[in-house]
Amino acid sequence: MRPSKFTIAFGILLAIFLVAPTIIVTVTSFSAGEIIQFPLKEASLRWYEEILTDRGWLQAFGNSLLVGLFAALLAAVFGVSIAFMAARGTAVPRRLIVNAGIGPILIPVVVIAIGIYMVFSRLGLGGDVPSLAIAHSVIGIPFVFINSLAAFAALEENVEDAALACGASRAVTLFRIVLPQIAPSVLVGSLLAFGSSWDEVIVAQFLNTPGFRTIPVVIWGQMREGIQPSTAAVGTLLTLISMVVFIVIALVNLNRGRRRQGVA
Amino acid sequence: MNFWTLAGLPGIVFLGAVFGIPLVLIVIRSFTDPGPENYLEIFTNERYLGSILRTVGMSLTVTLVCLVLAYPYAYLMARSSTFVKLLLGAMLLTSYWTSSLVRTFAWGAILNNTGIINQFLQDLGVIDQPLPLIRNMFAVFVGMTHVLLPYAVLAIYATLRTIDVDLERAALGMGARPVKAFWRITFPLSLPGVAAGAILVFVIGLGFYLTPMYLGGPGQELVSEMVAREVQDFLRPGRAAALSVVLLVFVGLILVIATRFVGLGAIVGNAAIDGRKNAAK
Repeated sequence: MRPSKFTIAFGILLAIFLVAPTIIVTVTSFSAGEIIQFPLKEASLRWYEEILTDRGWLQAFGNSLLVGLFAALLAAVFGVSIAFMAARGTAVPRRLIVNAGIGPILIPVVVIAIGIYMVFSRLGLGGDVPSLAIAHSVIGIPFVFINSLAAFAALEENVEDAALACGASRAVTLFRIVLPQIAPSVLVGSLLAFGSSWDEVIVAQFLNTPGFRTIPVVIWGQMREGIQPSTAAVGTLLTLISMVVFIVIALVNLNRGRRRQGVA
Repeated sequence: MNFWTLAGLPGIVFLGAVFGIPLVLIVIRSFTDPGPENYLEIFTNERYLGSILRTVGMSLTVTLVCLVLAYPYAYLMARSSTFVKLLLGAMLLTSYWTSSLVRTFAWGAILNNTGIINQFLQDLGVIDQPLPLIRNMFAVFVGMTHVLLPYAVLAIYATLRTIDVDLERAALGMGARPVKAFWRITFPLSLPGVAAGAILVFVIGLGFYLTPMYLGGPGQELVSEMVAREVQDFLRPGRAAALSVVLLVFVGLILVIATRFVGLGAIVGNAAIDGRKNAAK
């Protein structure tokens, strides 16, 4: 049933509401003046120049990138591991494992943040890439878990049985047969984990020190001091990287769908 | 213990250490630092009680509005021509993939006293004084709705796209009017998606932190902000822990009740994990 004209008009208005903030931030980041203007009176790249030549921003950028990559890697390894147990483990009820694997995205982030902060401050952790990456990997695990569990559960077990029957060990079967088949889903999950770390503020804020900050923490600090075009410029760069991650995910998914159709 | 249980051990141990232990520590601390009176304080002090009620009220309101807005949008995405579908999808995902931090910043720039809306209205001469659009619950409501709307749309769309268009065609063929065909056929079949979206939006909304903190007014803190401030500003981690436990129990109860009707997989956006193994075949 084709939607009515009224519904279409409503949808377009809502779509404008959805993208307006992104467009406004992007446009104002090119402002030439000191204050936020929309629409722009005069355009310039001065705020981008300021950011890209500022050591503090570049350092924060590097920190964010490293934390995100490392967190995604940890989330990939442990998320897949939990998915194996949830799908075919026999010792613990599946439901429990699924709840554990999904749990971190349904629990308020601030609770995870203060919990990890309490543990880490007791252990003297925090203020560096590894500790924030470990903390962020918790938030990333559900994304890998959800994606790889779905892919793993859909596998033909016969293929593994064939490998085993031909004399391959369990470990060889895991690395040569199972992992290559679910790799695209693990990749999608890891990219989502990277994305969740990339713009995470709350945990990062609890684990930051004056010498160690990520981009979102610096942006959040700036926002609370007042609204500046340089914040808009950093925000635009932050969004740009997120979009790149999203496009890669879309491409992997597209490719995955095509391959599945090819098999069937 | 079979091979796959063993393969899962590293993940479970890691998650237990970095996620489980902190949660247990929060529970212990809420009762011991300085003592169980943390809870007494939370349930008798108007500041905490007010923030809990405000959080639940705000999250409920945002959820209802999100559903009402998201449904027609998802319906359009499921039933329009490819062009409209791609356009709406692209705009939805652009919003979804813009960091909630950046979107919150944008709403600040839009709603500020010297912000885009007030500037515009003053330039037109409609108003003399800026409208109080920020530092109040209205701004929090707008910001939260904007951030959470894509979740609702995606959940509803995931169900709508699986409903066979032929069912509607059959109803029309047998003489039902389009409106009736929608309400009697499509809408009831899409309810699981609506429920999944509602639960997701409500639960995420309960934990909102940045948006209410940036757009909200003084004395109108939501629970997450209270938790953080108890730790950072008031140095009362025990009280923060107790407040966290209250929040956790509430979220947990909602999920326990909700998952009796909707699969956890459907709520988090991958229904495949609800099915029994190989159910798809």
